[in-house]
Amino acid sequence: MSRETENALLLLVGLSTAIITITGTYTRYVKSSLLVWLAGTAVLLIGLALVAIVRDIRHGSGDHDGHTHRSAVAWLLVAPIGLLGFVVPPPISPEAARPSVTNVSTDVLRRPYPPLPAERAPTLSLPELLARVWRDSAGTLDDRLITVTGFVMQKGDHTELGRVVIICCAADASLARIRLAGPAAAQIASYPDNTWLKVEGKVPSGQGDSTRRTTPLMEVYRAEPTKPPDNTYAY
Amino acid sequence: MTDMAVKAPMATRWFGSMQILVIGIVVLAVSGGTVHAFLTGKRELATAATVFCGIFVQALPFLALGVVISGLVATFISADRLARWLPRRPGAAILAAGVGGAALPGCECGSVPVARRLFGEEAVGAAALTFMLAAPAVNPVVLVATAVAFPGEPKMVAARCAASFLTAVIMGAAWSRFGRAEWITRKLPTPRDGDGSPWRVFTEVARHDFLQAASFLVLGAAAAATLQIVVPPWVFEHLAGQMLLGILTMAVLAVVLSLCSEADAFVAASLTMVPLVPRLVFLVVGPAIDLKLFAMQSGMFGRPFAMRFAPATFVIATLVATGVGLLMLGQR
Repeated sequence: MSRETENALLLLVGLSTAIITITGTYTRYVKSSLLVWLAGTAVLLIGLALVAIVRDIRHGSGDHDGHTHRSAVAWLLVAPIGLLGFVVPPPISPEAARPSVTNVSTDVLRRPYPPLPAERAPTLSLPELLARVWRDSAGTLDDRLITVTGFVMQKGDHTELGRVVIICCAADASLARIRLAGPAAAQIASYPDNTWLKVEGKVPSGQGDSTRRTTPLMEVYRAEPTKPPDNTYAY
Repeated sequence: MTDMAVKAPMATRWFGSMQILVIGIVVLAVSGGTVHAFLTGKRELATAATVFCGIFVQALPFLALGVVISGLVATFISADRLARWLPRRPGAAILAAGVGGAALPGCECGSVPVARRLFGEEAVGAAALTFMLAAPAVNPVVLVATAVAFPGEPKMVAARCAASFLTAVIMGAAWSRFGRAEWITRKLPTPRDGDGSPWRVFTEVARHDFLQAASFLVLGAAAAATLQIVVPPWVFEHLAGQMLLGILTMAVLAVVLSLCSEADAFVAASLTMVPLVPRLVFLVVGPAIDLKLFAMQSGMFGRPFAMRFAPATFVIATLVATGVGLLMLGQR
C-alpha cells in the first residue's frame, strides 16, 4: 500500500468519526457522553491526515524512507469506514442484549434517594426506576404516579416493558425490564413486540429483593404508544 | 539514484492501491443501503456489526489519546533519557513503572502504542511492559468503577488492585529474565535526525502509530464481536458454585469478550450466579490480555513477541488472580 493510500484511509477514518458524531448515530454504539471525545478524535485524525498529505505534496512523497516497509494491514480500516460511514448498523436489539439486569446506577449502596419532582407523574428512565425499586431506603416511589418509556415484550401470560442499557459501549448491552400489570394490562397485551410505550402507573412497595431473581412489577393505569426515541439505549 | 529505481515501477503501475481504495469506497457508497437492509433482516449479523462498531468507536478516543502521548514520547523522551530517569536496578525500574502506570488513567488500547514507544534495552523494556499491563488495570478510574459495581465488597477492589499490579510486575520481571530482543520483529520508523523538527517527528509518529494500532484493533474487535454472539448466555447459569470451572471459563471469557477495563466491573457484577473469585479472575485477565490486545501487540511489537507474551500473561494473570482471590476473598 502506498503512503498516499494510507493517508486517504486515515482521512476517511477521521471523516467517518466526524459523520457519526455530527449525525448522532454514534449513540447506537457508545454512550452519548463520549461526544466531546469523539469530536476531538475526528479533528485529530483529519488533522494528522491533512498534515501528511500537504507535506507529501510540498516535499514529495515520504516513500524514499526506505526502511519503512509498508504492510497491507491498513486495508482492515476499510471495515470500520464502510460500517460507520455507509452501512450504519442498527442499535442492539432487545433479544440480543444480555438477559441479566445490570447495576447501572453510579451509587448502588442502599440509601435514601432524593425525592421525585413534585409533578403529578414525573418521568423516570427504566434503569433509574429499577434502581429506586431495589435500593431506595426512603421509599420515594411509594404511592407516587410515575411515567416510564420502553418497548413492549410479550411473555405469553404477561407483558414486560424493556430498555436496552449500556455501560460503556454496545458490547456490554444488557436488558432492563419491569413487569406490567394493573387496569391497563389488557390494553397493553394487545400491542405487538417492540412497540414503544409511555406508561403511567405506580410501583407497589416491598419489592426491594436484593437477589434480584424476580422482575419487579408495576401497576399501570394509562399506556399510550409513542415514537421510538432517537437514542434507544438508557444508561 | 536508487530513489528513481524504486519509484519507476510504482509510477508505471496504473492500477495502484489508491485506485483500489477509490473503487472500494464507491462500491460501499452504492451498496451501503442494501447491506443495511440485509443486516436488519439477520439479527445476529446485525448484532455482531453493532458490537464491532461499539468496541471500535469506544476504543477510538483512547487510541487517539494514546498516539498523542506516544508522539510526544518519541519527540521529547529519548531512550537514554528514559534510562537515566529510571532506577538503575531492573527490579526497582519495574516497580517504578508499575506505580507510574497506576497513576495514569488510561485504557488498554492506548497503552499498547505508548509502551511500544517507551520500549528499549533491558530494564527499559521490562519497565515499558510493566507499564503497559499496569496502566489500564490499576488506575483510579477503574478502581472507582469496581468499588461502585461491588458495593459492600471493598476487598474486591483491593484484590483487583493487588492482583493486577502483581501480574504487571511479574511479567516485567519475566521479560528481563527470559525476554529476547529478536522477538520484537516490528521496528518503528524513527524520523531521521536531519529533517526531524519536533512537529514533524510528532505528526509522523502519531500517524504511523495510529494506522498500525487501529488496523489491529479492527482485527481484535471483529474477533470479539463474532465470539460474543457465539457464546450463549446460559453458559453463565452453569457456573453457579463451580470454583475451578468458573475460574477457567471466566478467564477465557475475559479474553473473548474484550471489554473496556472501565466497563468490565459492571459486567462481572451482573453475573451474580458466578462465585466471587472467578469474577476477580475476569477483572484481572481482561485488561491484561484479550483478543484486541493480542492483535494490537502483534501489530506493534511483532508476532513472535505476542505469541509468547500473550499466553504467558494469560497464565500468570489467571494464577495470580486465583491466588490473591482465595487469600483475600476466601472460597466465595
